[in-house]
Amino acid sequence: MIFSVKRTMAIFQKDYKDILKNYFVSSSVLMPLVLAALYGRMGVETVNEHYLIFNMTFCLVAAYVQCSLIAEEKEKNTLRGLMLSPASTLEILGGKSLLSFIGTILVIVISAFLTEYKPENILVISIAIVLSTVFYIGLGTVLGLMTKSVMEASVVILPFIGIFSFGSMLTYFADKFPILKAAEYMPNSQLINLANQVQTGAGLLDVWFNFAIILAWVAVIYVIVVIVYRKRMMD
Amino acid sequence: MENIIEVTGLAKMFANQTALKDVSFKVRKGETFGFLGPSGSGKTTTIKILTAQLAQTDGDAYVFGVPASKLKEARYRKKIGVLTDNSGLYTRLTIYDNLKLYCDLYEVPHTRIDEVLDMVNLRDAKKKVVSKLSKGMLQRVTLARAFLHKPELLFLDEPTSALDPVNTKHIYKGLENLKEQGTTIFLTTHDMNEAETLCDRVAFLNEGTIQLLDSPKALRQKFADHTLTVELADGSKEIIDRGPEGAQAMYNYMSENKVVSIYSNEPTLGDIFVEVTGRKLS
Repeated sequence: MIFSVKRTMAIFQKDYKDILKNYFVSSSVLMPLVLAALYGRMGVETVNEHYLIFNMTFCLVAAYVQCSLIAEEKEKNTLRGLMLSPASTLEILGGKSLLSFIGTILVIVISAFLTEYKPENILVISIAIVLSTVFYIGLGTVLGLMTKSVMEASVVILPFIGIFSFGSMLTYFADKFPILKAAEYMPNSQLINLANQVQTGAGLLDVWFNFAIILAWVAVIYVIVVIVYRKRMMD
Repeated sequence: MENIIEVTGLAKMFANQTALKDVSFKVRKGETFGFLGPSGSGKTTTIKILTAQLAQTDGDAYVFGVPASKLKEARYRKKIGVLTDNSGLYTRLTIYDNLKLYCDLYEVPHTRIDEVLDMVNLRDAKKKVVSKLSKGMLQRVTLARAFLHKPELLFLDEPTSALDPVNTKHIYKGLENLKEQGTTIFLTTHDMNEAETLCDRVAFLNEGTIQLLDSPKALRQKFADHTLTVELADGSKEIIDRGPEGAQAMYNYMSENKVVSIYSNEPTLGDIFVEVTGRKLS
């Protein structure tokens, strides 16, 4: 299969032009930045506080923006036009994910600057952030494909924002409710765990288990993406 | 002559409802084939099956010699243009930006945009944002997008349904140009005049089955009552059979210099459709 960068970039450029005029979706990008600015002024002391903002960015930018972009394509019947074009599944989903990906990374970098986050191992953290972004974009894609309109997508994503932004806090109550221990295996919890280890001097090999769990989440979500997308290609 | 589309025994069921049953036809290369029928007769379902948007329940559908379900490959997609009732446009972008995206997807130079906008009489409006366009203009932009990449096979589902007569003529002219360039056109419509104007052959679809298939001319002749109407100088009209008696009557009128006009009594495609199916088109 040939992957066309030109087709992928064409979809990305279209999305970029479109989102600049879509204030409903583009304003959601600002929320983590506002929070980061506030936290920055108050002074962020723990890794968990930094990652509260980062996990919110994943939910609001990577997942929600992606979900809205896909849902709007469905709502306006433009996704069918892309599907009937020579663009492959990978080119369409790649092009549609690029904006959310760049947006997420930019917001995280700016937020990290505002909250003065200085990871001990920038390489490990960068890989973890990129992997997490890929996961949340997959989540947004699935939810976007499963909903029929932007309004519906905005509602459907709310529980996921709650779970993936604040879900890691559930582990605080794991002693009382052992079932909540499962929350440790969520990608957001794994990212926080990994970041805490990195701050104490851990390297790439020390956090392989966290990476493996995040990677498993990525694999599962993209299998679901492909299944749902193929279903949506047909009426 | 090479067949671009070959359909045999095609059937489609939606739950307990039959949309198509035992539909068979062939579309030759370069012809404009009309699929005529009232709303809900199965026209759009057929297009969706032929463009791999829908799987058939039974039967075979081949396009370019391959099963329609295989048309998802880029090399086939480049040969096909589709206009359906749900072809969407990006409403926050301009006409130009919408078409530019599709130029890039089909690897067509951007200079083609002005050419197709000329065909649909929209060149002056290319900087307009799509959300500001009228329904007719939207229809013309989606049409322009369908033939932007000069497809070998063009599927058009009710292409002029939202257009005024002036713009309809523009579209007809554009489609004639495409036909001259060798494009095969599969057209669904319930407008019989459109079918007469554009189509080389037509199929009448009713309740999921093809009831008739031939050229408009052959169908008219087949259903003609073989009489002539003679309009006389006193304003009266006489219906004359074609035969020795009719020839004698005609001779008499003409020798008395009474004839104003003569025309054959051929039915329109609409008349034939009603006669065959017992249904009116809507």
